[in-house]
Amino acid sequence: MGLFDRSRAGYESKPIEITAERGAIAFFSETIGETNPIHFDVDEARKAGHPDVIAPATYPVVLEMAAAKEGQRKGQTPMIEVIGADMRYLLHGTEAYDYHGAIFAGDVLQVVGRVTGFSDAKGGQLEIAHLEMEVRHAKRGTLAVARRDLIHRLPAAGAQS
Amino acid sequence: MTVTPQTAAVGDVLPVITFGPISRTTLALYAGASGDHNPIHIDLDFAKQAGLSDVFAHGMLSMAQLGRVATDWSGIDRLRGLSGRFTAITPVGATVTCQGRIAERFDQDGTPILRVALTATIDDGTQTLRGEALISAD
Repeated sequence: MGLFDRSRAGYESKPIEITAERGAIAFFSETIGETNPIHFDVDEARKAGHPDVIAPATYPVVLEMAAAKEGQRKGQTPMIEVIGADMRYLLHGTEAYDYHGAIFAGDVLQVVGRVTGFSDAKGGQLEIAHLEMEVRHAKRGTLAVARRDLIHRLPAAGAQS
Repeated sequence: MTVTPQTAAVGDVLPVITFGPISRTTLALYAGASGDHNPIHIDLDFAKQAGLSDVFAHGMLSMAQLGRVATDWSGIDRLRGLSGRFTAITPVGATVTCQGRIAERFDQDGTPILRVALTATIDDGTQTLRGEALISAD
């Protein structure tokens, strides 16, 4: 059997409020080599018709990290502990985003995490936790849904990479 | 003539993006900017204790480059989906080359959508990440 705590399938975290911050979006955008100034220059973003700098495509992962930390401050168990992940064997398998609306600096957002379920692959050598994270805005609704597979490469399958 | 989402046909390729070489400084900055503080990417002592010879790059740093391939071309307002599967680690010092190719044009609820096949490859030819973007071709 695997290492994940499979009894947590169906778990949903309490919504955590996170404000998308202009400086944080600009810093992230510059770090990933973003060249479109709508992601780091508020004047250029406004010229392009946006209310503020706009988060780049993979920014939901940053909001999720921020929500995890904020949740911990409020006593919420981090998702990685909820599922019983063993960092020695943990791999990031897949990451996927569905976009429903843009995320701008200044947006006050609600971030919710879910454990969708667990599965096995390669004859039990790999066990997979399926996670989901939703970014919501009070007026504009769901802006992004992220889905992620975290994988335990189990010790019986050999050494970690 | 530049291919646009409206005119793109299956097989068309998008402008290539290269990122790197990825230094330890890049990884430290990405850890700070993203909030992913997993020491396996930034702490050589930790990596060695885990049995690795060195730290390696965050997979999501390459995923961000796949996002750039899509949005540099189409604009982020057209991006409907982005996904990736990590297939190999990216070592320190690697330069990542990211490519996109129109794989399919289909109709979703009356809106034309392009499925763009995306890949990230490092210097020695190893594919580290493959994925796809869904782009509105309206």
